[in-house]
Amino acid sequence: MKAQPLSPAPGAAAGLLRRLLQRRSGPVRKPRVLALVTWAYIAWSIVPVLIAIQFSFNAGRSVSVWQGFSLTRWYWGDPVNSVWHDPALQHALIQSLKLAGLDMLVATPIGVLLALGLARWRGYGARPANFLMLFPLVTPEIVMGVSLYLVFQYVFTFIHPSTAAQVLGQVTFSISYVVVVVRGRLFSIGRDYEEAAADLGATPWETLRLVLFPLLLPAVLASLMIVFAISIDDFVITQWLSCGAGCDTIPIKIYSATRAAPLPSINALAAIMVYCSLAAVVLAFVCYKLLTRSESSADSTQAAISSVGAFDL
Amino acid sequence: MSGGSISLVDLTKRFGAFTAVDGISLDVEQGEFFSLLGPSGCGKTTTLRLVAGFESPSAGQIRVNGEDMAQTPAHRRPVNTVFQNYALFPFLDVFDNVAFGLRRARVPKDEIRRRVGEALELVQLQTFSKRRPARLSGGQQQRVALARALVLKPAVLLLDEPLGALDAKLRKQLQVELKALQEQVGITFIYVTHDQEEALTMSDRIAVMSNGRVEQVGPPREIYEVPKTVFVADFLGVSNLMAGSIRGYDEHGRYRVEVGGFDLRAARGAHSLIGDVKVTIRPERVRLQADGISGENRVPGTVERWVYLGNAMQLIVKLANGEAIQALIHNTGEDSPFAVGSRVCVHLPEQALRVLPVSASSHSGTTSGTAQVRERASERRPSSVRSGVNETLVARTGPAGE
Repeated sequence: MKAQPLSPAPGAAAGLLRRLLQRRSGPVRKPRVLALVTWAYIAWSIVPVLIAIQFSFNAGRSVSVWQGFSLTRWYWGDPVNSVWHDPALQHALIQSLKLAGLDMLVATPIGVLLALGLARWRGYGARPANFLMLFPLVTPEIVMGVSLYLVFQYVFTFIHPSTAAQVLGQVTFSISYVVVVVRGRLFSIGRDYEEAAADLGATPWETLRLVLFPLLLPAVLASLMIVFAISIDDFVITQWLSCGAGCDTIPIKIYSATRAAPLPSINALAAIMVYCSLAAVVLAFVCYKLLTRSESSADSTQAAISSVGAFDL
Repeated sequence: MSGGSISLVDLTKRFGAFTAVDGISLDVEQGEFFSLLGPSGCGKTTTLRLVAGFESPSAGQIRVNGEDMAQTPAHRRPVNTVFQNYALFPFLDVFDNVAFGLRRARVPKDEIRRRVGEALELVQLQTFSKRRPARLSGGQQQRVALARALVLKPAVLLLDEPLGALDAKLRKQLQVELKALQEQVGITFIYVTHDQEEALTMSDRIAVMSNGRVEQVGPPREIYEVPKTVFVADFLGVSNLMAGSIRGYDEHGRYRVEVGGFDLRAARGAHSLIGDVKVTIRPERVRLQADGISGENRVPGTVERWVYLGNAMQLIVKLANGEAIQALIHNTGEDSPFAVGSRVCVHLPEQALRVLPVSASSHSGTTSGTAQVRERASERRPSSVRSGVNETLVARTGPAGE
């Protein structure tokens, strides 16, 4: 704007000049450069995804040349190659949702119990255990994947590469995310409520059921959604423990298809994954907000963002 | 509802190498309003948590109505707690919060409804029963916490700085209400606070704590008027503490004590102290007189600072021996004759001068309780003073539910 010498009207020019001058007055300047860099990064990271999604609506068979808009062709309109009608893609979608569902159901309860134990464990070993809980989060996934593969191959030989093995692998590292989220919530609610419950005569079991569980519910829902999001997204571990074509998930399918001759149906599959992940995160955020609305509002938004954002660790 | 008694016997709590509660022994009688007073870190809250059952003692006994409860889990003890931050369950409304304990005790439904109603009436929150705690003010939340604990008719109610989070005005008001409520329901209260004024105005007896030990136990007036240690004298109100040394007794049996070159007479303090001591006097008992007056217990000095407090004037006077001393003068509306820099005569009345042993009794918990101090002037507190204040507030509501 500054570089434009010919302003449409002198009044506007004066106004612009005044604003530029005003910007320099006052002790606190707006962080314009920071904002610029931030928006540039956001554009850089989102635009490719948006383009990929755009081509899932391509009317033609190209994934690089825009041939017109078709809302449904590659989702279910095309009788042969759409996600809905191509058995391989359909199977990948179902396999992904199946893994995500099982991962949620298994990892979340275990993670919640682990978090309870870790957060309320006072004594020797509590600190290292709490720290080691982060280990799966920082271990390179390829290491985790190959290790699990070798373990199943040579030690626990009764576990064959299969859907079950994939679930086991995903559960192994999703638990950490659940623990981090739930433990954070436990720390933020403190011990007071538990002590109050015990003080009022609640047994430990009643305390867990009547006080801790309602307080943890938002974190539990957030965990469910996070586990869903990371499971849908997982490639490395899922691939290592795959039983072949029958175990292919969306990411695996996209990966192999892109190397061959991709159709926009692959974009549609990818787009579905994005929708699912987004829906999971938004749902988690909304649940957290709704369930913690009775607590002080400023805190709960922060907590919601940080706990929902935890899967991006 | 009738109060229970609590006896702590050599109660000790260690956290690793740190001893938070160092072998304290206390007896709290039935229906008593008993305060644990001390600076932060003195072990008062830990003591309360031990009684509540949130911590296990390292040694010692906690007797409730004579029965040792040291190993009993919190949910089986006949005591209830009002937490500093109230710890009201945010997902339950006021009614359900108050009913929580009754439901755990499997009390029949209609009795729950009746007793919760009575408890809410007691704290004047009948109309708020369907509200969530987040939609109540701090003072209202405090009352709910109180109702939630009182509804269970505990033998002893434990209160952990329950007024700490409220603003000064509301705190004053609730102090009076809380004391009236306690007298009305007759439950034994153990009240933890670091606010000496709060402890003085509400308590039947106070235990002043420091470093995990009890420094002194007694009624408010005794604690304030007859401190047995330097710590107690210093912690309650403002005390002028001057280093001195005993020179013997005069013909009236008063201490002759030398403070910075001046020979003073002190009529208060424990028997048979010798050597180095601390001499203390409350600022409100220091008299300022015109320069030049001489006589017993009179020390010349210069007014160094002059602070306007509203109802009083605080003067800091530098004595000729170099010690600075605080004096409090009531604001009578007349101009004070003592301007900054002017020379004055400081009168330290012998009846207000107290001699204390230099090293506080913090080496052994027992000395503060028993061995020391048969007081010269018998100082009995007229009990009518406090109850007169409360009379007006007591008659507000009916009994909490018998």
